[in-house]
Amino acid sequence: MSKSTFTIEEMDIKLKTNYIGTNFIFYDEIGSTNDELLNDKSITQHGTVLFADNQFKGRGRLSREWLSYKDNSITFSILLTENLNAKNLNLINFAAALSVAESIENLFQLDVRLKWPNDVLIATRKVCGILVESVSKGDKIERVVVGIGVNVNQPMFEGHYNVPPTSIRKEFGRVVSRERLLAEILNEFESNIKKANKNPSVILDNWRSKCKMIGEKVKVNDGKEEFFGIFEDIDENGFLLLQDNKGMRKIFSGDVSLK
Amino acid sequence: MDYNLIKKLVKIVEQSEITDFSVQEGDLKIKISKNGKNNIVNTVVSQPFNEQFNYSQPAQANPISIENKAIIPTDDSSKYHEVLSPIVGTFYRAPSPDSNPYVQVGDSVSEGTVLCIIEAMKLMNEIECDESGKIIKILVENATAVEYNQPLFLIEKN
Repeated sequence: MSKSTFTIEEMDIKLKTNYIGTNFIFYDEIGSTNDELLNDKSITQHGTVLFADNQFKGRGRLSREWLSYKDNSITFSILLTENLNAKNLNLINFAAALSVAESIENLFQLDVRLKWPNDVLIATRKVCGILVESVSKGDKIERVVVGIGVNVNQPMFEGHYNVPPTSIRKEFGRVVSRERLLAEILNEFESNIKKANKNPSVILDNWRSKCKMIGEKVKVNDGKEEFFGIFEDIDENGFLLLQDNKGMRKIFSGDVSLK
Repeated sequence: MDYNLIKKLVKIVEQSEITDFSVQEGDLKIKISKNGKNNIVNTVVSQPFNEQFNYSQPAQANPISIENKAIIPTDDSSKYHEVLSPIVGTFYRAPSPDSNPYVQVGDSVSEGTVLCIIEAMKLMNEIECDESGKIIKILVENATAVEYNQPLFLIEKN
């Protein structure tokens, strides 16, 4: 296998965090960064980042496949082991999506939008997927792993997708630095996690301002049923409030699309 | 007492505009109130037979939660353990729609055995067992909503 083109030193120069990524684990190739951080209980440091240049068994929600391309994307997972409670768990999801969105805006000034609960789009095309997983022993949350995959330098995409994909290169018009983008996302993530713990309403408001689906007619598929209605708002926990002909419905999970 | 019946009733009340509901059959009277302050399901036993339904003001947005301890008879509580949900979300018994459930009734489990996944906003929360024993009841149907602290599994301790 050819050697990775990712340069940790280049990322490190841009990293300004106190704990996110101070323990940085690099793999040329791995099945899934989330699986590794979830299952290897010997890794315990809060804020550990596990980065893989090639992830060959990437997963999305309900074990859907996430394709990553060596040298073209960044796929990594962040381990959180402190300040975990049921209240701020959903905010971690929003914090992750916001961090990617803000980083892409800061560095490339692109039109970044968020889709509930945590997809990052450029206009209507998906540039980043996030899968947060956690392990609880009974009702005590022990580990949270935030898996993030960003399409960075893919020149094109082949095949059929639920949501059409794009890459930063396709949108920005040239190849960009993966190291710089990763550092920026980690910087933003640490700052957003601090907000999620201290001032959750800021995270909710920032998320709302980037979600262009609020107020629109949407279709929600929660895996069992489809609901149609107006995406009214998100509640204080981040759940989707859908107004349909039967009243206000609270959606915990599912796929949302414009109707 | 049929726990599943109570659970069904709670669900019906939760999804309706009803805030107070009571039903009585023989010695068993079940009273469910969806009050924003208490969020508690009360069960009262021993009243004369008289079926009644109470409809009152529209429900508030507050979710119902079940008072857990009422479910296990107090004299048996040392024998049984309830695994509670740490979050609000959707309960899944298997890692993906095509996979086998993590556990079945009758399975022996120990601390750390994965029991289920609860999903909220795409966050997949794997619930490990916090007690060793045998699963005697799975209290929630697959792919349905669960509340914070809702009992998921009833385990007979070793």
